[in-house]
Amino acid sequence: MVQEFEGRTEEEAIETAARELGLARDEFDVEIVEAQRGGFLKKGHIVIKVHTRDHGPAPRQADAPEPRHNVRREPDGEFESKLLDFVGGVVEKMGYACKTSILFREEQKLGIRLDSANASILIGKKGKNLDAIQLLANVYAGKLGREDLRVIIDSENYRIRREEAIVKMAYEVAEKVRRTRASVLLEPMNPFERRIVHTTLNDIMDIETKSEGDGLYKQVRVSFRGRA
Amino acid sequence: MERDLVEYIAKSLVDDPAGVSVATVETDEATVIELRVSPADIGKVIGKRGRIAKAIRTLLSATATRGSKDVRLSILD
Repeated sequence: MVQEFEGRTEEEAIETAARELGLARDEFDVEIVEAQRGGFLKKGHIVIKVHTRDHGPAPRQADAPEPRHNVRREPDGEFESKLLDFVGGVVEKMGYACKTSILFREEQKLGIRLDSANASILIGKKGKNLDAIQLLANVYAGKLGREDLRVIIDSENYRIRREEAIVKMAYEVAEKVRRTRASVLLEPMNPFERRIVHTTLNDIMDIETKSEGDGLYKQVRVSFRGRA
Repeated sequence: MERDLVEYIAKSLVDDPAGVSVATVETDEATVIELRVSPADIGKVIGKRGRIAKAIRTLLSATATRGSKDVRLSILD
């Protein structure tokens, strides 16, 4: 089945489609029919075609990030070897067997994957153990002379799953805020997660996001701004 | 075990690994890990706003060998 939806941005059109069809965002395919980017004081306009299937899961969305499967998992060079050894060493000293490998290499970003039978402990509540290992890995990378690089530690795709959950939650909260006109204060999140909320809702004109509080784990307030 | 974790992290992050020493003190309520580093390296194990010390404490509370007692980290100079 194919239906058309409109919005000021792609995100908004997809959101409308998801709401009207009663489907999750990953349950349909989106094709952009007409796009006009908004600029300063100028609203964009976009028309999308939504393809839904009656049975089975929909194929991957065309604009979803490419799976990172062509990566060489083994460390490349002394820096990567040292970093993987350090991360593996920390986990081993915590008392868990684990295997470390390269998850992805991007400009100024390096992903490291932990494979362990104790992955759920290594991730920790709301990813706090993974965050702690990641922080130490970043400090260590800096000590090796790579302050420019951001190291991301992941296990069992926790980061990606968490990102998807946050995007979904952000849309739901925005919808609720629009309906009730009352602002909502989200649970404390780390800077990376807060950024996901800000960028997800950035395109929604009548919704405003702002971080509140102190320290690493601030809270985002989502509030209604009214039609621009 | 917890001692090894603290020692490993500290030695990896400081400029003077020979200046790292770790002792364990058992009290009734807690196991206290006492970490000493060279004066110039104190910041390397504490971090801005205590971020590094906090990360070490987080990982200490997730170790496999941890018993029912609290594990505390004190950084001494």
